[in-house]
Amino acid sequence: MNVQEYISGGIIESYVMGLATESERLEFEQKCAQYPEVAAAFREFEEKWEKFALQNAVPAPEMVKVRFLEAIRNTASGNTPSFNQPKIITMENEKEPVRRTGGSRFLAAASVILLIGLAWFAFQYNSLKSTNADLSKTNNSLKTTLNSKDSILNQILAEDAVTKDAVSNPNVTVVNMVGTGSAPKSSANVYWDSTSSNVFLVVKNMPALPTDQQYQLWALIDGKPSDLGVFDATNEKVILKMKNTKKAQAFAITIERKGGSPSPTLQKMQSLGKTTIKQ
Amino acid sequence: MSLYISNLGIPTTTYSEQDLIVALKERNEQAFGYLYDSYSGALYSIIKQLIIDNNELASDVLQEVFINIWRKIDSYDQTKGRLFTWMLNIARNASIDTLRSKSYQNSQKNQELPDNVYKGGNNQTTQVNIDNIGLKKILEKLKVEHRVLVELAYFKGFTHEEIAEMQGIPLGTVKTRIRNALIQLRDYLK
Repeated sequence: MNVQEYISGGIIESYVMGLATESERLEFEQKCAQYPEVAAAFREFEEKWEKFALQNAVPAPEMVKVRFLEAIRNTASGNTPSFNQPKIITMENEKEPVRRTGGSRFLAAASVILLIGLAWFAFQYNSLKSTNADLSKTNNSLKTTLNSKDSILNQILAEDAVTKDAVSNPNVTVVNMVGTGSAPKSSANVYWDSTSSNVFLVVKNMPALPTDQQYQLWALIDGKPSDLGVFDATNEKVILKMKNTKKAQAFAITIERKGGSPSPTLQKMQSLGKTTIKQ
Repeated sequence: MSLYISNLGIPTTTYSEQDLIVALKERNEQAFGYLYDSYSGALYSIIKQLIIDNNELASDVLQEVFINIWRKIDSYDQTKGRLFTWMLNIARNASIDTLRSKSYQNSQKNQELPDNVYKGGNNQTTQVNIDNIGLKKILEKLKVEHRVLVELAYFKGFTHEEIAEMQGIPLGTVKTRIRNALIQLRDYLK
């Protein structure tokens, strides 16, 4: 390609003035990227064009600036600023000639324009309303997501703290609850701090239960069971703060009716773990 | 962006083109005010060259143009040309759209009515003034066959095909003449 010929062939002027066709534009943009001379000549003409336009400026109405800045100020980002202004003004432009030919025609024209204006406002109002509804829906679902993420995060943090504590604190006993014959897959760990009496239960996998039943954790103290609280079935790892106990030779988990029982149903014992601490 | 304090104690902000573009894309209101102060005159000039003899309508188009700049600023791509080129084309397109709108076409018909004769004199004086500004003025220096085509393409927004049909000349001739006219116009720009 003869670059000089391309540059002086009028394409630059055509492109800048908005007279080039789509294919000419694409070709020109590609040539600009390919040939620095084309890009330089393009910049040079643009500057000349801008300078010429600025030299030939005519004072613009200050009122337009006021209205423009007002329109963008009143418009929250994303909404469309008022566009019907020109339509309403057009009505006034038409007023003069039409009025001479009869007031009824003017009224007819005015009412049509008013209707268009009202329809436009109604449309705008409805679209804003639905945008608003969509936004609050999104907001709610984000809140829900955030809450669930928060609780997961808190669990992770709490578990982490308990685990660290268990590792570093010689007073914490970790009891691995082993599934019994009736529930071989049940799995949970009890973290028991014998000095503070705190009991945490890390549930790893407990099979689902009918809705009227819950699991119940027991501490076996001198052969007698003592209630440590109820919890729901889950196959996700969760950490639960159970009731405190000062003593325990073993922990047991049974299936009980919702809310728990005063004494364990031993044939429904799901898992059992013995402490190694001598009481 | 740098802040200068004028002698009167009124702070005025000036922008480099780069800073201005960044501020506009952030929808900075002050930057849009600056944009208006700097470029509204040049844009208003082109609008008035297209929408002749109707200052009120030209003002409305100017407002629409600035709102469009505000709305579309994210789509402005610096690699495809200067901010001014982009804005001027928005102004030209908005003017052409207005010229083609039904309400404008109707108002033109109304003005041709015989009971509208008083407007005649007024019309002519404005016409003369408009011919004295900007591109319209240097267009006068071109040969008639060139000038007419640029008028139709640039000031009326017709495509080359439409012009070829309208004028009864081959499309190739339209293209060549407009290209040649633009090359001549370039040399008249100072």
